[in-house]
Amino acid sequence: MSAITPPPFASRSLPRLEAREKVTGRIEYTHHLKLPGMLHGKIFRSTMPHAKIKSIDTTAAAALPGVYQVVTIDDIRKVIPNPYYGPAFHDQPILADGKVRFAGEPVAVVLAFDKKIAEEAAGLITAEYEELPAVFDEIEAMTAKVLVHDELKPAATFADLKYLKGKKGTNIALDYQLRRGDTEAAFARAEHVFEHTFRSQQVMHVPMEPFVSVADWQDGHLTLHTASQGPSFVRIEIARLLGLPENKVRVKVPYLGGGFGGKLYIKLEALVTALSMVAERPVKISLTMDEQFFMVTRHPCHFTIKSGLDASGKIIARHCEVIWNGGAYADIGPRVTQKAGFTSAGPYDIDNVTINSYAVYTNRPPCGALRGFGAPQTAWAYECHTDMIADALKMDRVEFRRKNMLREGRPQASGTPLRDAEIERAMDHVLDRMNWSAPFDRGSGNIKRGRGIGIGFKGITSPTTSVAIVNLNADGSCALYIGTVDMGQGSDTVMAQIAAQVLNLDPASIKVIHPDTDVTPYDMGTLGSRSTFHMGNAVRIAAEDAKQKIEVLARELGLPQGANLPLVDMMKQKYGMQAGNIIGTGTYLADYEKPDAQGQTTKGTPFWGVGAAGAEVEIDIETGAIKVTKLVNVADVGVALNPKAVQQQLSGAGIMQLGFTLTENMVFRDGQLTNGSLADYKIPTLLDMPKSFINEHVPNAYDAHGPFGAKGGGESTTIALSPAIGNAVADALGIRIYDLPITPEAIFRAMQEAKGAPLEEDA
Amino acid sequence: MAALEIAEPEKLDDAYTMLGTEEGSIRPMGGGTALMLMMKAQLFKPSKLVSLRKIEALTGFSLSVDASHIRIGAMTTFSELEQSPMIAQHLPVVTQTMKTLANVRVRNVATVGGNLAHGDPHLDLPPVWSALGASVRIVGVDGERVVPAEELFLGYYETVLAQGELIADISVPVRPGWRFFYAKVTTRAEHDWPALGLCVGVRAEGEVIADVSLVLSAAVDKPTRLKSAEAALRGVALSDAALAMAADAALAEVHIEGDGRGSAAYKQQLLRVHLGRAIKHVMQGSASA
Repeated sequence: MSAITPPPFASRSLPRLEAREKVTGRIEYTHHLKLPGMLHGKIFRSTMPHAKIKSIDTTAAAALPGVYQVVTIDDIRKVIPNPYYGPAFHDQPILADGKVRFAGEPVAVVLAFDKKIAEEAAGLITAEYEELPAVFDEIEAMTAKVLVHDELKPAATFADLKYLKGKKGTNIALDYQLRRGDTEAAFARAEHVFEHTFRSQQVMHVPMEPFVSVADWQDGHLTLHTASQGPSFVRIEIARLLGLPENKVRVKVPYLGGGFGGKLYIKLEALVTALSMVAERPVKISLTMDEQFFMVTRHPCHFTIKSGLDASGKIIARHCEVIWNGGAYADIGPRVTQKAGFTSAGPYDIDNVTINSYAVYTNRPPCGALRGFGAPQTAWAYECHTDMIADALKMDRVEFRRKNMLREGRPQASGTPLRDAEIERAMDHVLDRMNWSAPFDRGSGNIKRGRGIGIGFKGITSPTTSVAIVNLNADGSCALYIGTVDMGQGSDTVMAQIAAQVLNLDPASIKVIHPDTDVTPYDMGTLGSRSTFHMGNAVRIAAEDAKQKIEVLARELGLPQGANLPLVDMMKQKYGMQAGNIIGTGTYLADYEKPDAQGQTTKGTPFWGVGAAGAEVEIDIETGAIKVTKLVNVADVGVALNPKAVQQQLSGAGIMQLGFTLTENMVFRDGQLTNGSLADYKIPTLLDMPKSFINEHVPNAYDAHGPFGAKGGGESTTIALSPAIGNAVADALGIRIYDLPITPEAIFRAMQEAKGAPLEEDA
Repeated sequence: MAALEIAEPEKLDDAYTMLGTEEGSIRPMGGGTALMLMMKAQLFKPSKLVSLRKIEALTGFSLSVDASHIRIGAMTTFSELEQSPMIAQHLPVVTQTMKTLANVRVRNVATVGGNLAHGDPHLDLPPVWSALGASVRIVGVDGERVVPAEELFLGYYETVLAQGELIADISVPVRPGWRFFYAKVTTRAEHDWPALGLCVGVRAEGEVIADVSLVLSAAVDKPTRLKSAEAALRGVALSDAALAMAADAALAEVHIEGDGRGSAAYKQQLLRVHLGRAIKHVMQGSASA
């Protein structure tokens, strides 16, 4: 083996392997891809939130010089007879099929060699609709007569959804239930009972690289080039749609310009595949920034939380009623409903818990996973609720949390015991960075100041599998074949570090081969904070396998122990020349036990994502203007394999959640999105950053099951941030905000309401 | 965005000819920052754009010999004004306004004339020019005319400019003894279109507001002078009561519409608060005064 920098290679702030290529603008993105003879597709979208399509007039578009073809669902049926897809339900048509279910739904596509001509032609298509009554609100949708889908179509992939097959007359796509203890009896004996309802708004991922996919269908096999977080799933689902074996579908993914859960499962891939089959040419669709609002978004959530406490302030019962507005198509919403439902009672030790979590169809753009799989929406409710109870009982907000906190080894609501989850140390780290015990300036004049904290946790999608291949060439150089998608989080670098640690190589010398399902092995997806833990373990196992094979080779060659002969020399001895490979493989499947009918399992999650946050706010009481002056995010990531990359993940997630807390909101009027552009949908900019912004991981944490003690941290700092700010606002004003986002007007309205002089609403 | 023709005439007369006098799909273009957004959104599909960037008569800015006013050519970019020591000295409110106006890439190409002709009530500079008492020289094939900046606007995206007419330059009086301030009030994020734009100028004599100039934008359909509020303040000593009366007068004289940046009632509150604060600010003579 080549010269060695001293270990450990893991646990170092190694610069990203691709940093130079990225900042010099030479890195590969799907957006750059051009194939010979490639057509560009432009989508014509529905203007109605719920309607029957009476007719689509494509004549003017088709007549525009330069237009190759205009495609509707009728053309697609000729190549894909059952053109419905989705990860949890096969409910989404590749193009609208006789009906539209949200304003913005794709209805037709213009294909042209020139993107601008396709765009112009799409503007010439008209459709006639017969408007249907629509339902937008999740509470209404629970009982509405208006049905978004006539019949539920669960995908056969998930065994636990089978009972929903063929169900009719409902908008409830999934009802997740968890029962622990006897909640009713515990409420009956409770000294105090509190019930509050909190709401989260619809928001979007806003990746800086909008969705883009290219399909190339040739002679019965397909190549997809796509900005996807889950190439293996894309292959499985496209192969199912086409009735092909997996080896006839190739999915290639270069770097991504952000994903955040949006680029999971099937997005544009089914559409470009169908178009390529119809046109018999390569087809590319790249969305504009504004079109992303109609692809996938984050669930609005309506959460009623009720707690019963004994005289000492111990929570003895909790009831969670969580309703998720999933929009027109289920996407991965049912998983969000389950995953976030699972931890919706919060990181507290409560013997009697009832959780009902519902995925509900409405006539809005579809909702899916977004950095936290619903955990941030639930924590918004349970951590505001925590402060409200503490205040009502006149208990210290921190001590109340300590008294009820779930601790190592104790069963969480699902029965899964807490393991290697530093909830209390994360909170203590926040308190330390907030100087919590020091006197606090409450402001003067028209400025009122307050501070608050929040803690939260999440389970990790399970059971999931990652497979890795480590290939040592005859000269000793190393390539790593993995399906993990580097979308900005730095996974290439960390995976190289893990392999380097085992093989005693320089991590910067390792080549990471990007996802290509013809080349790289299976991975469930780059999602839900799972890669460092699952793929990291697979890489570690693969590297150990390779190392063992080198040792076997050394013995075979009769080398004395500790000879440390460079690999190239061993290979020359073995093969008589510089030839051959050492191939190590690793498969990791986390330990898992399926929950019973009560949602109980002792192995519900491979590890726990833990986040805590603290915020200081300044509020102008004459206008409601709010400034977050200090923000502290702390996550338990186990051992930080690359502390710099971890810190960037934590701050990135924090900034994102800051937007979801204060500024971002998809506003609808009669089902029409009214602010679908970045001019009117405001993501935070540098000017919105808190003056003091601290992002750290819990020091000396260790996950016994993670690679070298590590676990994922991509989502942890999204969880508790919103309630920390909500609690800080309440601390400043003595007024509780129940709905996100916390805008200046929302604060001012709440203050006026409290004064008994409510502000007039617009007509 | 479909293909289109861009012409770059070097003489005004050529520009008039290209533009014609019929309303249609031929438009003049300054920096193009607003037009491009409308074209990308397919709200506007020009057949031809007449770029004015090569017409020398529309460029440059200078202080008059008697130092009484500043002429600013319509094609002057915001960055040129932002970086000018002369503007900083004589029109500090313009320099101040630039700090939060769009971003450096926009300021590098956006022009004073294009910004006025666009007629968007959310823009930052039109209320500033109006409050300063600037006048706009309009030229066309039939000759020229001069209108006060505040009379340029007829309503939402509507101006007095006819097809074929161009803004040649503006003339901004230098007003010794006055202090101006532009309050850009955003509500959704720090960097946003204003929910309320308010340019306030005063000539103070001790604690007394000897004269005052107030122009409101963004919350209304065009930059609007708050005449009643001015009348309420003129000749009055600064006090909270006087400011409250001025705010009442302002709220009574304008019609504020709700939108994504705030409901009408909330924007009224913002006007009440920020009018008072801006006047106090300029009376104290701090910052960009």
